[in-house]
Amino acid sequence: MSATADVLRQLAIVFAEFEGRLEQTPLIRKLSRGRFALADYQAFLISLRQQVKDGALWMSRAASNIDEAHLELRSMLMRHAVTEHRDFRLLEADFVATGGELETIRGAEKNIGSEALSAWMFHEASKPNPFGLLGAMWIIEGLGSIKAAEWGALVKRSLDQPDEAVRFLLYHGENDVDHISEFQAMLDLVLPDPQTAARIVKTARVTARLYALQIEEILA
Amino acid sequence: MPELRPVYITGAGAFLPGEPIGVEAMEDYLGRVGGRDSRMGRRALRWNGVETRHYAYDREGRPTHSNAQMCARAVAAALEDARLGREDLTFLAAATTQGDLLTPGHASAVHAELGAGPLEIASFQSVCGSSLMAAKAAWLTVRAGEHDVAVAAAGEFSSRWFQPAFYEGTALVDEKGRLRPDADFLRFTLSDGAGAIVLEPEPPPRRLSLRVEFIDLVSLADRFDPCMWAGSTFDGRADPLAAWSFAGPAAAHAAGGVALLQDFELLKRVIRAWIGVYLQKVDDGRIVPGEIDHLLCHYSARSLRDEIVSLLEATAGAIPEVKWFSNLARVGNIGSASIWVMLAEFLSSGRLKAGEKVLCIVPESGRAFVGFMQLEAVG
Repeated sequence: MSATADVLRQLAIVFAEFEGRLEQTPLIRKLSRGRFALADYQAFLISLRQQVKDGALWMSRAASNIDEAHLELRSMLMRHAVTEHRDFRLLEADFVATGGELETIRGAEKNIGSEALSAWMFHEASKPNPFGLLGAMWIIEGLGSIKAAEWGALVKRSLDQPDEAVRFLLYHGENDVDHISEFQAMLDLVLPDPQTAARIVKTARVTARLYALQIEEILA
Repeated sequence: MPELRPVYITGAGAFLPGEPIGVEAMEDYLGRVGGRDSRMGRRALRWNGVETRHYAYDREGRPTHSNAQMCARAVAAALEDARLGREDLTFLAAATTQGDLLTPGHASAVHAELGAGPLEIASFQSVCGSSLMAAKAAWLTVRAGEHDVAVAAAGEFSSRWFQPAFYEGTALVDEKGRLRPDADFLRFTLSDGAGAIVLEPEPPPRRLSLRVEFIDLVSLADRFDPCMWAGSTFDGRADPLAAWSFAGPAAAHAAGGVALLQDFELLKRVIRAWIGVYLQKVDDGRIVPGEIDHLLCHYSARSLRDEIVSLLEATAGAIPEVKWFSNLARVGNIGSASIWVMLAEFLSSGRLKAGEKVLCIVPESGRAFVGFMQLEAVG
């Protein structure tokens, strides 16, 4: 078995656990049981905005901490950050399309989970060669490629909102189809290395737990 | 405490009612809701890839066997395959999704049809995975020395739940007389039959048997809502106090809370959860994909299998396609009976050789359950 396949397997296990945990959060329970209200969706968008806005920033910081021996990975992270660094504007537009005020989503405070998640990401990204963050990317990108479209469809079904109000969730689902193969390529740049492998999986676990905490806190 | 004994599957049997039914004749047996052809049938069949299946009805719509009668026939076939008589049997574990009666349990009904004198019995009611729940009970009872001949049987009479009377006059049919698409889709995915295995503490001389290495069962019902269920409406299924029995049978029927239903959107999430459990087994070294010679995986649709295979390949969890054995296209998805019907056909195919390992996987969408049974050919 290759080192990359071993890590991918453990990451797939972490993601399956993560999905199960998300499924049990009050917000997602409401969404999957058809009891989702507009206020729930707006709270969801507010929370997503914080984390999406931070995403490109910690990725940039991580890129700046990658040494010359790993330039290809640095390039990939920088490209990733560029692609995503304006995505939070889309969330703002979705929020406004639901009838919300722009100042509300821009001025909202992070919830306890978002604070923890954000602090963790920047902390990890500040280390030299923070390869463990590939595990965080697996979780965050997995949300984009797997969960976003599902959530978007459920939101549309339960809220009777126009497409313009659900663009972030629906758009992510469409753009991340090559998720696994792209990710394999990134893993190949830093593996095999047992310590890096363990750190990637650990970082995925922590990120998944803190992300779920953020979702838990939305209706807390 | 006495030592645990090794346990062998010494016989397997199947019973499939009537002739194989082709695609074009399905609705002659299932009936037509509101008297009109289904809009979903063709799509369902493309999705699941099933060409023929069996129904325990004749063309005039009369039932030919009950669920318990089909199970009893499968038990008799399995005992015969093990060169045993009914009098040798002392423990019967029977599984089904829906027995002929609401209560008492399915094993009582199967025993009643089987005869065979006083027996110890155990009933297991779930969906596809109830087969392995029964097998685990039968395996452990032989392993512990409580019984020397145990049978695990499973049967389904799914098609009676797909008859028009389960839908007509309910909230599942709209004002234009159209059945809710997901309810209609499901009617074309499940069919009838039964299967059984015999377990003993000694391998039979001069022929192959299968030593049970382990049976691992994992429920994830703590995180998922019901995905395939009967007894509640779509919206009420996660609320225990909204079950059919509170409203009473007539009101529950009218609300669409009696028919068998499936949430196909939730199914996608449940599939990923099953894969997660499987990959955990691989990661723990409990299942070693490279050591498996034959895989018998219960899957309800060809397209589901394809979805699973691509992720498994990236994670070194895949078992090559040449090692998969399936009769889904010919016998259809028979719920809990599928794994034993598949195993019986596999054992009579002559593919198995001594020393080879067989892995059986039975995922159950009911409320996110999955079971694994690993066997080694002996003899």
